[in-house]
Amino acid sequence: MMLWGLLWMLFVSGLQAAEEKCVLAEGETLTVNCPVNQKYKYSKKAWQRLRDGEQPQTLVVTESSQGTLSQIQVGRYILRDDPQESMLQVRMINLQVEDSGLYRCVIYYPPPKEPILLFHPVPLVVTTDTSDKNPTTKLTQILTLPTTNIPSIPYTSSRTVTPFLPTPTAVISPNTTVNLTKVTDTIRLLVFSIVIPVACGIFIKSLIFTVLFAVTQRSFGR
Amino acid sequence: MSHTCALLAWALLALIGLEAAQSKETPSCCGPIVSRSEWGALPSECSQRLSQPVRYVVISHTAGSNCDTPALCRQQAQNVQHYHARTRGWCDVAYNFLIGEDGLVYEGRGWNIKGDHTGPTWNPISIGITFMGNYMERVPPPRAIRAAQSLLACGVTLGALRPDYEIKGHRDVQQTLSPGDQLYAVIQNWPHYRE
Repeated sequence: MMLWGLLWMLFVSGLQAAEEKCVLAEGETLTVNCPVNQKYKYSKKAWQRLRDGEQPQTLVVTESSQGTLSQIQVGRYILRDDPQESMLQVRMINLQVEDSGLYRCVIYYPPPKEPILLFHPVPLVVTTDTSDKNPTTKLTQILTLPTTNIPSIPYTSSRTVTPFLPTPTAVISPNTTVNLTKVTDTIRLLVFSIVIPVACGIFIKSLIFTVLFAVTQRSFGR
Repeated sequence: MSHTCALLAWALLALIGLEAAQSKETPSCCGPIVSRSEWGALPSECSQRLSQPVRYVVISHTAGSNCDTPALCRQQAQNVQHYHARTRGWCDVAYNFLIGEDGLVYEGRGWNIKGDHTGPTWNPISIGITFMGNYMERVPPPRAIRAAQSLLACGVTLGALRPDYEIKGHRDVQQTLSPGDQLYAVIQNWPHYRE
């Protein structure tokens, strides 16, 4: 049982370093804030989509910067460049499932010069908007697990674990872009983050009760 | 009897383990910090909190006098706070933490309260750590550098900083000379520095 406790603590610390995917529903807006070093104040910035085996696709580029606040919109892509405040804000509005993929902010130079990566590549997953509260919705929301306190997951209110362990094949609908390995990981995550804290809590309370009981027995038994 | 002893030992171990995992107090691996009361701080009137864990740390210098003893640094921390809270009219000293050349960390707004060190975009998303002194032409002594690095490690342990936090120089994100040419060169070699 001690091993369980140790395993739990290790897993929790591991979770805090996990990669974050941006998971949003169709119609929602993705907002990414990319820091831009002051030295790139007058440079052009761009938002690009990365596809396997292809050249990065530039979706929107800022116009020549005067070093002052500017905004440009191309279709559903909006760039808000604030050079004084060293921040580039990207927005993708009215998200579609086909928008799912990998993106990045860059300092843009005309090819063949390589762009400079800003922030980190952003993995985006856009889910279909399901209005009924079925396990699929719950499972996709779980992918946005915060990297802080695990007990803050809203689902722990029911404290029953079984409803959250559907078989992966039954849950995945053809429209979601969630793949099987991630579902298994998420379920394992749930087990560790709900089952073990609950089990440990109950176990420790019973241990304390046993200890107190034993102590009172001994003092009265004399 | 031995069964009870074993249970008792287990209970104690489990409690210690749980406390260590959930404790938000200064863990034993965090270095000493000179508290606000210890350096004679005026009470803070700030209320805006930082959402944790924080991703960015901004390193600056005060560009003012340096101090190399606890007595002098206590006074200097008070001076900086006085300037910010009384003259500039802010809710408190602008920084989350101050580092003295005495090798000590001085508690400013701390890990939980938003600072006023780097402008409206960066204050809500960063921890502002300042070195008390002017580091255009000199570097802080190794004990001050150590204090800052220890503080950062502590921030990660406490969950106040993301394990993959990024360090920026003040001049990387604002138009300023801070943290000074010499100190800027030093922090650029820190593992978490990212331009």
